[in-house]
Amino acid sequence: MSDTSLLLLIFCLFGASYLPRLFPMLYFSQRQVPQWFSDWMKYVPISLFAALVFKDVFISENHFDLIGNVRIIAMFLVSGVAYKTRSMAISVITGLAAVFLLSMI
Amino acid sequence: MPVKKRTPWLEALYAALPLCLSYIPVGLACGMLLQKAGFNILLTALLSMLVFSGGAQFLVVSMISVHASFVSTILMVFFLELRYALLGSSLSQFFKKEKRSFIALFSQSMNDENYAVNYLKYSTDPEWNRKKALYVNWFSMASWTGSTVLGTIFGSVIHVDTELVHFALTAMFIFMFMMQLSNGLLLATGLLSGGLAVIFMLVFKNTFGLILATLLASFTGYLIERIRKTANTKDDGPDHYDLTGGEVHHE
Repeated sequence: MSDTSLLLLIFCLFGASYLPRLFPMLYFSQRQVPQWFSDWMKYVPISLFAALVFKDVFISENHFDLIGNVRIIAMFLVSGVAYKTRSMAISVITGLAAVFLLSMI
Repeated sequence: MPVKKRTPWLEALYAALPLCLSYIPVGLACGMLLQKAGFNILLTALLSMLVFSGGAQFLVVSMISVHASFVSTILMVFFLELRYALLGSSLSQFFKKEKRSFIALFSQSMNDENYAVNYLKYSTDPEWNRKKALYVNWFSMASWTGSTVLGTIFGSVIHVDTELVHFALTAMFIFMFMMQLSNGLLLATGLLSGGLAVIFMLVFKNTFGLILATLLASFTGYLIERIRKTANTKDDGPDHYDLTGGEVHHE
């Protein structure tokens, strides 16, 4: 992508990330949060993260990748470390180290 | 050290420091990936300040690398950032007396991590105020922007294995997944979404599959919760009042 199209993309992304931050906060500083909305919202982040993780781990170049896929082992490792430490930095470093070491075997 | 003597910005720095430090390795990795995706230092800095979301910025890299369309990239980021609707509305209880202009300024730099710091501070520290809260946001943004810019510089001078560094993003999403995980229904919803995402990606070969999987799974999770709630109120006699969580009421 050229610099101009990246710049355009950045401004559109600004809109996409500012609006969900701004309006609910403005709106709900005056009113109560409706129950159905917060109930549904509870399931949105985890669904999205799972979709992204599964796509990254199980698909390579439009194909299902299972045999000899080191990312699956790394995924379980990172999950355990993330759950134990609750640290983003340690989780990311573990992930990088795991993929690096496992792909050397 | 006497806590009262500290100036607001120093107190905010103290609260934000662990967060600022943890941004460094993640920001470096994100900056390197952005550099590989075609971002220069200026564009990286702009993205980090305007979007200021690790998840979204990693997502942008991943969408660019699979040549996703403009609309698809923006929609994916929008769905990812929808969680801020929840964070923002939960933090809004402390802003009942604040001006709209302050909320407009504050929400721009709010993200998952500084939300957590500010929420904790507002609910435990009676001295916590809008000034300190805003400082926390800005310190974390400065640390994030600095780290991603450094990553972009490193990315252009040293060779990095893109496929390896790409897993930094996967690891970050795994981390965020684990942080959301608080009961069995959430886990089931996540696994459903992951499974659907793989199927849709294989069938449609398009990143819209991820959006579809997210919508279907989150809606299913929400529906199951509703059905459980109505089943609880219908079936439970007055002596079942202790059944509150999803955990207790498994089939």
